[in-house]
Amino acid sequence: MQFFANTDELQEVMNELWARIGRDPDMSQKLLQSKLIVQFQYREPEGRVTVDCSDGQEIKVSVGKQQIKPIVEMAMKADVAHDFWLGKVNVPFAIVSGKIMARGPVAKALALLPVIKPAFDIYPNVVSQHKKVLA
Amino acid sequence: MNPFVFHVPTKIAFAEGAASSTADIVKELAGSRALIVTDKPLMNTGIVEQILHGFDDMHYVVFDEVPPDSDVDCVNQAAEVARAEECDCIVAIGGGSVMDTAKVVNICLTLGGELLEYQGLNNIAEQLLPLVAVPTTAGTGSEVSMVAMVKDRAEGKKLLFGSRYLAPSVAVLDPLLTVSLPPKLTAATGLDALTHAVESYTAVISNSVFTDSLCIDSTKMIFEYLRAATKNGGDIEARSQMLVASTMAGVAFTNSGVGVVHALAHSVGAKFGTHHGIANCIFLPHGMQFNMDAVVARYAKLSRLVGMSNSSNDSAAATELVTAIEKLCNDCGLPRRLRDAGVPELKTADIEELAFLTGSDPAIMFNPKECSPEDIKGLYERAY
Repeated sequence: MQFFANTDELQEVMNELWARIGRDPDMSQKLLQSKLIVQFQYREPEGRVTVDCSDGQEIKVSVGKQQIKPIVEMAMKADVAHDFWLGKVNVPFAIVSGKIMARGPVAKALALLPVIKPAFDIYPNVVSQHKKVLA
Repeated sequence: MNPFVFHVPTKIAFAEGAASSTADIVKELAGSRALIVTDKPLMNTGIVEQILHGFDDMHYVVFDEVPPDSDVDCVNQAAEVARAEECDCIVAIGGGSVMDTAKVVNICLTLGGELLEYQGLNNIAEQLLPLVAVPTTAGTGSEVSMVAMVKDRAEGKKLLFGSRYLAPSVAVLDPLLTVSLPPKLTAATGLDALTHAVESYTAVISNSVFTDSLCIDSTKMIFEYLRAATKNGGDIEARSQMLVASTMAGVAFTNSGVGVVHALAHSVGAKFGTHHGIANCIFLPHGMQFNMDAVVARYAKLSRLVGMSNSSNDSAAATELVTAIEKLCNDCGLPRRLRDAGVPELKTADIEELAFLTGSDPAIMFNPKECSPEDIKGLYERAY
């Protein structure tokens, strides 16, 4: 059974997670330096989250279809994303086995993996809060 | 045991003189109009001409403009030629640059549209046109790999394409094509193959028993035959063993990844144009020393299995493997320091830039130990 019940739940959790990452000085500073625009495209359930660091000043997070063209797109099942944020996904293996699709200059995005690792500690809290609200 | 996936999408055919049957292989794949991708130096050796005799009864066009470090412009030119000639298959005859170019041309030819749309990993989801790879060096493994890299000179970037559909349909391994390779290139490309084997064997988060077995045997073959192939280019047995070892290591690394040595070599190659095999030769002992504490048991096991040590002490056996690699590089006349490979004095800004490039190279993901920017800078300083 998939972890997220529907698109709204998935996008709300990811939106809140990225908002908290944006409020973390260490993580946000390094992400903003990349000036990347990364779009995460999820399936089962469908969902789309765009993280825009392009102005180098503020991380802008948006959900659903966007006009802005991402520099890097990452596509995966929502459950893979959930496991990733729990620190349970072996990213090299997920790429080799085709569980994650990446379009664009992926090296730039992959270089940010160590930067966002502290968010693994934030994610369970974000999920539990949302599950409580929705319950 | 770790979970794993293992693909070998490429049919591999080996024989002395196998290249003369390339046209028959193309016909088996239902190809009728072939784009032959190669380079000028190879055209001048007469190797390509011999292979082309078999194509006399079918339509083909030769594109021989591939530079040593191929780029998007070259890909677009070749794709234009192929479209104009309505080619339905591609034959790559050459080294890594030629084969990678052919793979990316195949994307343009099969899928059309904007090439940049296909940059990335697992981003191509359908079968491409038949591609037959005929390697003329023994090292890159591109004849079986599922990745290709070309430069975007306008943007000053390397574009990475990775998908199982990129792997050639058939790899034709003919040792006779490698006999004219000069000693230094023989040695350098051989060290590239050895680095694939060693790094793939220690890519402990993504390797498997399948990749391990290929790594062990290819490492053994390279230790046994690289000196002979370098010393006497006409030694067909040595050339055969090296060509097969290189392909075996290619199958291994395309399934399990490489590591920090390749990330360092890609970066120094991008900044200073250092030959990939020579860069790997310089960085391999340093990379192994760096990874030693994380994978000492793996190095020790490999060292014993390939006959470089009979010590029961892991640290001693692993060190003997590093020493054996250093001796192999020395025996083959390869440079051991970046300064001896034409790299100018590394200033602080150079090392900063190289560390950034290395830290963002996808190869580093598969390294068995995390590398901080300071670790990477230290590796450059030691290798210089």
